[in-house]
Amino acid sequence: MGEPVILCPADAVPDQQMKAFPVGSDQIAVARVDGELYAFDDTCTHAACSLADGELEGATVICPCHMGQFDLKTGEVLDGPPPDPISVYPVQETDGKLTVELD
Amino acid sequence: MPETYVVAGANLAGGTAAATLRGDGFEGRVVLVGEEPVAPYERPPLSKEFLRGEAPFEKALIRPPDFWDANQIECRFGSRVARIDVGSRQAILDDGEAIRYDKVLVATGLRNRTLGVPGAHLGGVHTLRTVADAEAIRAHAAGATRAVVVGMGFIGAEVAASLRLCGLEVVAVEPLPAPCYRALGPQIGAVVAAIHADHGVKMHLGESVDAFEGGDRVERVVTGSGMRIDCDVVVVGVGASPVTDLLEDEGVHLENGIVVDEHCRTNIDGVYAAGDVANHLHPLVGHHIRVEHWQNAMKQGAAAAKAMLGSTEPYDEVHWFWSDQYDANIQSAGHVSDWANPVIRGDLESRSFVAFYLRDGWIEGAVALNRGRDLRRCIALMKSKAVVDPAKLADPDTDVRSALATV
Repeated sequence: MGEPVILCPADAVPDQQMKAFPVGSDQIAVARVDGELYAFDDTCTHAACSLADGELEGATVICPCHMGQFDLKTGEVLDGPPPDPISVYPVQETDGKLTVELD
Repeated sequence: MPETYVVAGANLAGGTAAATLRGDGFEGRVVLVGEEPVAPYERPPLSKEFLRGEAPFEKALIRPPDFWDANQIECRFGSRVARIDVGSRQAILDDGEAIRYDKVLVATGLRNRTLGVPGAHLGGVHTLRTVADAEAIRAHAAGATRAVVVGMGFIGAEVAASLRLCGLEVVAVEPLPAPCYRALGPQIGAVVAAIHADHGVKMHLGESVDAFEGGDRVERVVTGSGMRIDCDVVVVGVGASPVTDLLEDEGVHLENGIVVDEHCRTNIDGVYAAGDVANHLHPLVGHHIRVEHWQNAMKQGAAAAKAMLGSTEPYDEVHWFWSDQYDANIQSAGHVSDWANPVIRGDLESRSFVAFYLRDGWIEGAVALNRGRDLRRCIALMKSKAVVDPAKLADPDTDVRSALATV
């Protein structure tokens, strides 16, 4: 099991939005879609753009730079130039905070 | 007897088509023929991270190396379809082998134009299309300090940026009034010019090249106005022409490439075309159009394969492309027929903006700089040709998706 990391107050990520947080040397993004939370690597595997600056379409994130698309449930590439999937992580809302469990 | 489908062109369009044929369940023979001795790869990195030595070639492959064998796609890399005999339905390779086909997809792409001026053959004068071209430029640039880029279209502009990032002095010679002028228009072209100037590229706009001079290797570029620019390496990016020789005199309609309908079909039964070579009847644009974009190569390649398998879905993707130069991410979608009076969201000076070009009230095209989310959001509006409210489009606090005009 990974180490739980508190990212932010729960209200920092409203519904249909996403936000990235520095964790060590990485950026972890959290999206809230129709009440569901998703945590994932914020850095696109194609050209290292911040996915949180991109677009949410349901549980799909679209990179702002080259429109690579990732499934937030699995991390897999759905479309576009990214060569590799992104990592996704368990995330929970407890005591008014968002906590992510990294590998 | 199982059917045979031949794909001429083992590039992004052709490779994606071959993969789609298998992915969609075609059980016949698939033969993928390509002139370069390597598996299909994407070309965007060739002017950027690959040229700068930041990414290995393997990262550009469109499928893992074992994909083609695993999917029983017969690969003829390092071969070229020299001719297609549409009467006998045979693809004739440059080594003389004839492959009988039931359907053939022509995805032969482009061949670089060169400058017909003295010295164009000198060592150190390069063009860029293939991974071999990129390796040659990289090798020459490694020992060089001064580069001249001739032609500041996207390839020239990206090469200029990459060579600057590698520490070379770069002088650019471009006959038009701004870089990327044809694709981005005068206003955004001027912004791109300013970005290059900020990064130390010395640009001579409205200037042509008369000759390259040197011994075995190029030593200077002589321009139309008589300037002599000393250099160690030259990259010429003056456009490219569709490769259609394999269909000469076969009755296939050739005009600005290979003319196809909305289903990527030519006028000859069983002959299809996709990618940079295809002049496609685009349902949204309303006329034939040929583009040289990564996204079109991939999506149209897939669409052509589906059409070969009997799909009746027209190919109607909104055309879209990007260019990365230094930290600038440029994206463009749709087609602009008039560059005058764009609606600007953001600010040209701050280099974070979208320019929307309207026609009869709907968004015909858009160009974004470092503003990909807004560009993404306007594509659905383009596709629906919805009439928009320019004030809402210009307002950064209004979501682009809700910029519809209220009736």
